[in-house]
Parts: sequence; structure tokens; C-alpha cells
Amino acid sequence: MKKYLVKRLLQIIPVLFIITFVVFVLVYLAGDPVALMLPEDASEADREALRTALGLNEPFLYQYFHFIGDLFRGNFGTSFRYHQEALPLVLERLPATFELAVASMLIAIIIAIPMGIFSAKKRNSFVDLFITGGSVLGKAMPSFWLGIMLILMLAVNYQIFPVSGRGTWAHLILPAITLGTGVAAEMTRLVRSSMLDILNQDYIRTAKSKGVSDTLVVYKHAFRNSLIPVVTITSLQVTHLVSGALITETVFSWPGLGQLLVQAVNGRDMAVVQAAVFVIAILVILINLITDLIYRLLDPRINYS
Amino acid sequence: MKKSFRLIFVACIILVFMVSGCSSNSSTGAKNSGEGGKDKTTLVLAQSADITTLDPQNSLSTTGDRVFRNMFSRLFNRDDKMEIQPELVDSYKNTDDVTWKFKLKEGVKFHNDDPLTAEDVKYSLERVMKDQTLKEFPYFTQLSKINVVDDLNFEIITDGPMPTLLRLLAKSGADIMPKKYIDKVGMDEFLKKPVGSGPYKFVKWDRDDRVVLESFKDYFAGAPKWKEVIVRAIPESSTRVGELLTGGVDIATDIPPNEWDRVNGEKGVSLINGDTTRVMLLVVRTTKGFATSDPKVREAIDLAINEKAIVDSVLKGTGVPVRTRVPEGVVGSNPDLYNTYEYDLEKAKKLLAEAGYKDGLEITLTAPKGRYPLDGEVAQLVASMLGEAGIKVNLKLLESSAYLDEYNSNSNKELLMIGLADGLLDASYSLVHYTKDRAAGQTDYYNPEVEKLYHDAGRNLNEEERIKQYQKIQSIVAEERPHIFLFQQNANYGVSDRVAFNSRLDEVINFSDISLK
Repeated sequence: MKKYLVKRLLQIIPVLFIITFVVFVLVYLAGDPVALMLPEDASEADREALRTALGLNEPFLYQYFHFIGDLFRGNFGTSFRYHQEALPLVLERLPATFELAVASMLIAIIIAIPMGIFSAKKRNSFVDLFITGGSVLGKAMPSFWLGIMLILMLAVNYQIFPVSGRGTWAHLILPAITLGTGVAAEMTRLVRSSMLDILNQDYIRTAKSKGVSDTLVVYKHAFRNSLIPVVTITSLQVTHLVSGALITETVFSWPGLGQLLVQAVNGRDMAVVQAAVFVIAILVILINLITDLIYRLLDPRINYS
Repeated sequence: MKKSFRLIFVACIILVFMVSGCSSNSSTGAKNSGEGGKDKTTLVLAQSADITTLDPQNSLSTTGDRVFRNMFSRLFNRDDKMEIQPELVDSYKNTDDVTWKFKLKEGVKFHNDDPLTAEDVKYSLERVMKDQTLKEFPYFTQLSKINVVDDLNFEIITDGPMPTLLRLLAKSGADIMPKKYIDKVGMDEFLKKPVGSGPYKFVKWDRDDRVVLESFKDYFAGAPKWKEVIVRAIPESSTRVGELLTGGVDIATDIPPNEWDRVNGEKGVSLINGDTTRVMLLVVRTTKGFATSDPKVREAIDLAINEKAIVDSVLKGTGVPVRTRVPEGVVGSNPDLYNTYEYDLEKAKKLLAEAGYKDGLEITLTAPKGRYPLDGEVAQLVASMLGEAGIKVNLKLLESSAYLDEYNSNSNKELLMIGLADGLLDASYSLVHYTKDRAAGQTDYYNPEVEKLYHDAGRNLNEEERIKQYQKIQSIVAEERPHIFLFQQNANYGVSDRVAFNSRLDEVINFSDISLK
């Protein structure tokens, strides 16, 4: 197990290198950030002066190795937009995004697991059809549309929740529902199919024939065994939450990592894009690792050594 | 296994409680985001973009200037009619062509109680004159020296006669910063918690969320009205309007045309349109090899576009058709070319035939989509109007950054649509585009008479004469058409009925000018 962990952790290094290179190339190819920093009527001389001052006139490879050199010293460079070090800018946004992601995931789990089980239990009934249809709808709704609709209905018309911003519990609810709906839909479908699979297994039939109550069969024998695919999808959805947060955070003016990244990409703010992608990559890798470890907890037959 | 699963679930719930609990404690302004507009001492403003820095000399954005203008003082400012008025200055005189003497008002204090002296003025202006990395630097290059005489008196020496000096001293970037405080804490610390001498003190900036300011009771012009001002960043326009309609904010800027009916149709809020210095125009290549190098073709294009129809239809009447880049209210504006347009489809066709394009002409129009309100729609309308005159337009609608790349690399073809504003509110700012150096690679326009008029005006301290020189340049440009002007753009604000607010040409918002009704 230890060996496995060390191996996995070492694998992070080349992955991060590849990611930084790809991001660097993409942002570099996207064009000149100076164009976006000065007003339209700035002269070529003004732009040139700023480009020189920011070191953007150097050749690509020089800029890349310079960046890598700084990276080893833990420095992602200075944001063009904010004129501050990039990494602290990214890190200060993490709590907001984290709060939103965890709340969305909780909403998704609270909706998806009972719905999925119920749907599987009542297979092919009207309720099953309703839940399955609902989950298709939930998956199909774009989050920006859902967000705007929720604002219109629950914040503007009925004024139950605040329209935007971050601060209290009430501020968290609409963005979390917006972000959690897609995840809940995906999870409901998965819990349902996973449960159906398990309910047809021999040991369930044996349990039932022994006279074990229906509830006990479903929740003790079947549900626990159906969890492995659910855990997989949950961890995959965490990465999905980060990308979903890009849109949801903008709609709700939620000052998280997603909004920062969107603006950094729009402004070609290389240092912030790099730092944000780096942090997200580490998070995704860690979540995948944790998922693998949870598998083992759920199913002792899985052995990494 | 059962235990571990429970453990994970419980840990998740605790985590969300912890994170959310922390944030609600730390975010003092949280309450206000939902109901700030109902508090009589708090003003909440929502902008479409956040400020990007707390450095007033490195911002160059309207959103930033709205905050800085209220936090810092400048030597001069502009009143509602855009007239220059002394702010920190008590008296001044122009002793020779290049020397200006100023005396500061007595008793002006920074927010940290330090007195504001001539040393602070010297420090602030020299910083923006010398530091090339500052975005405001290009505008301050004509200042050559600041001499401190004593605590209240100082001189500004300019590089040659500078008729626009006072306007420059009222412009963004001319903010006076506290030398003593910056020397003590360092620039990095200062930029985390800036200290100015304006009516409002800095409290906090939560990036991409809000800037919170509070009133500065010792402000030299009297304690300000609002106890607290919150400037929120809400990029999504429908969310911004939602906040306005629910009373979360008092003023929302940049209301796009698709939201106008929603704002106008609701009780308790209204839409306020105001002029800006931004003029939408077509940059025309006069470069040899392009069809538009022929003045007849340029005239035909201008005559084929019905600017009034564009304003009335797409812009729902908000905007003014113009034939110059210098709108009314900006010094040097030519009234003959404001609120007017030329449209004559038959003559346009005739001119095209005379220019040898009887069987039609094909040109490319590059335009942005999503950079200015309804820019894509305006470009499509222009293209179809040109089509009626027999000009086939290849319309190239580009996303903002791709569009800017094309503009900055001068790789656009015959026509490029752009909106240009005037940060100095002086014709010299806009008309530089018709000089040989600045036009090179863009319009490639050159007229020796315009060149001479522009350079003479730039050194002319006789204001009346200088204005005439700029007006003459505009008349020549309107006939020769290196730019074909469309309309002056409007700014659109959604305003709660509880406050009285007037839009200004420079789009600045002085919080103290806004009052409860």
C-alpha cells in the first residue's frame, strides 16, 4: 500500500510538467496580452514599451524556461491584471469554490441516492419513469440557464434568496442548486443502474428467500455493494464541479476560482491561468488518489499491492 | 467499512459548515448584498467588471476610476458640465510657456491624518511621469519636472507649451498619493490598503466581489453624505438587473439593450441614458492597393450608411449620429459635425460607378462581437446598407480578443469597426489619429495641412485659436474620411428611485453627487 502511494505521488511530477507546458503553449498562442491591457487607441510605441517592461518580447522558449525556473522557486509570476503574485491570488479563491463545490455535492448526494434507489426499487413504474425523465432534464439544462431562471424565480419574483454575492448561507443555496443539479442527475442514473445490477445478483435473491426484510436487503446488502461505481462517478463529478463553477460563479458573482480563471483566460493573464490550472490539476490528482483509496475501504477484495 | 463511509459523509458535512461559517463571519458586507439598498446611509453600486488594482496610476478603466475618484483627490476635477475646477489647488498661474505655479489648499489631510503637501504632489506626478510600466504613463510624458517651493507651493515645468495641462491634472492617473506613508510601509503594502485624501476611505476589497469604502469625516470639502459605499462587481447583466430590481443595489451600470424593457417596466427603478465620449466609427484604409484608397469609394460608403436609422432601430434612439470623433462637451468639438449624418444612396451608387465599380465592389468589414453594446447587430446593419449600394461586404465578426489582435497587428482589410473614447475630454486626444505617425499602418492617412494644424494646436496656449484649429481638422477629416463616423454611444444605468443620479459625459460617478430622494 505504501509503495503504491509513493508511486502514485511520484507520478504527479511528470503530469504537472506536461500540464504546465500545454497551458503555457496555449496561452502563448492565444495572442498578445498587452493588446487587452491598454485602451484601443494606445499607440504601437505604448504597447511596445509595456511589452518590454513585462518581458513579453523575449522568445517563446526563453519565456518558458524562465517560467519553469521561477516555478521551482515556488513563484508562478505576477498577474498582468492584478499586478500581484499569481499563486496567492488563486489560493485566496479556493475557500469560496470549495464551499460551493462541497455544498453542490451534498445537494447532489442528498437528491441522487434516495432517488436512484427508489427508482431502482420501483423499476418501470410511473415513479421510475418520472425520476429517469427528471434526471435527463437535469443533465440537459445548461447551468447558466438554470442559474438565471433560479434567480428570476426565487430571488427576483419571490425574493426568498439573495440574487448574487457570497456571505451567508442564503447566498450559497441558489448557486449550489445550479451546480448540483447536473451532478445529481448523473448520479441518480448511476445509482439506479448500479442498484438494478446488484438487485439481480444471486446473494440478494438468497437473502430475500431467507426472509430478510425488503428494506434490509436494499439498504444493507444491495446499496453498499452498489457504491463503487457511485464513488467513481462522484470523484469524476468533482472535476466536473470545477468546470461547472466557471459558469455558475460568473452568473452568481461568486468570487471563486472559476470566475478568476475565466477572467484570466479572457485577459490572457498567463501567470494566473498557470497557477489556477496547476492548483486544479493537483486537486484532481489528489481526488483521484483518494477515490482509489476509498475503493479499498468499500471493497476489501481490491488490493493495490 | 460502514464506519469509514459514515466518517466520510460526516466529514463532508462538517467541512461545508466550517467553510461557510468562516466566510459568513469574515464577510462583513454580506448582509448588504441582499438589502444594502434599503439602508439610508449605505449606497450600493454594481458595475459590470471589478477593479483590477488599487493603484490609481495603473488602472486605466472606467470601473477603476469610479472607485479612485472617490478615494483620492487630484489637483483639479471636472464639474457636471465637464468644466475644469480646482480641487486641491487654491490658486495657480502660468508664468511662462512652460512654467505653471500652483498653491495648494491649506488643511487638506490624508485618511491617515498626515497633511497633504507639495512633496506628495511631486512624488505622485513624478511616479506616473517616469515609471513606464504604469498604464497611465503614456499620458504624462509631456510633464518634465516638478519643483517644490514649500509645503503648499510647487511648480510644474512642461516639455514645451502644454495647453492641456489642467485637463491632464484632472484626468485619471493624476491622483495624489501620500509620500510619507508609502515611504514608511512600501508600495506593496500601500496597494493593499491605500490611503488617499478623497471623500471616502478604503475599507476592503474582496476581489471579484466588492470594494467597501466608508466616509472620511475630515474630508477637506466637508464630511460626505454616505456613511458607507459598496461597489460590487456583477459581470452577468441579468444578475445585475436582478439585484437592482430587488433593491440589492441602488445603481447598476452597463445595462444592455435587451434588459431596457425589464428595467423600464418595473416600479421603483428607472433607466437613465447619458452621453459618453465614445464614438463608434469605421477605420478606413486609405492605403494604396485597397479600393478604399479612392476618396470616391470612401464617400460612397459614408453616403450609403444611414446612421440615423442605425441609432433609431438597433439602439432604440439612444445615441447620436455624428461626423466627427469629438462629440459635444469635449473641448474642440465642431458643432457642425455633431448630431448630423449624410445619407444619399443614389449618389453613393453614382460615385461607385465613377470610381470604376459599376458592377459592384467587394470589401471586408472587421467588427467585434460582444465588445460594445449591440456591436454585432450594428455591423450587420452596416453591411446590409452597403449591400444596397452595390458593395458586397464580407463581414468578419470576431470575439473581443481576436478582434483586438487583428486591430493591433494592422491586419484588417478595408473597414474595421471600433468604438473610441476620449480620456482627456480634449480634441487633441482623439485627433492624433490623423497625424502621419499614428495613422501609419492603420488608415495610412496623411494630409500635410492636418499635420501642421495638429502640431500647431498642441503648442498653442490661446484656447480660442486652438479650438478653431481642431475644428478645422475635423472638417477636413469629415470630407476625406480616413474614419467614417457612425454614432456617439450612450451609457445606460439602471437606477433605484430612492436615489437621484445624473449620468456624466466622462462616466465618472461621484458618490457625493448622489443623494436620497
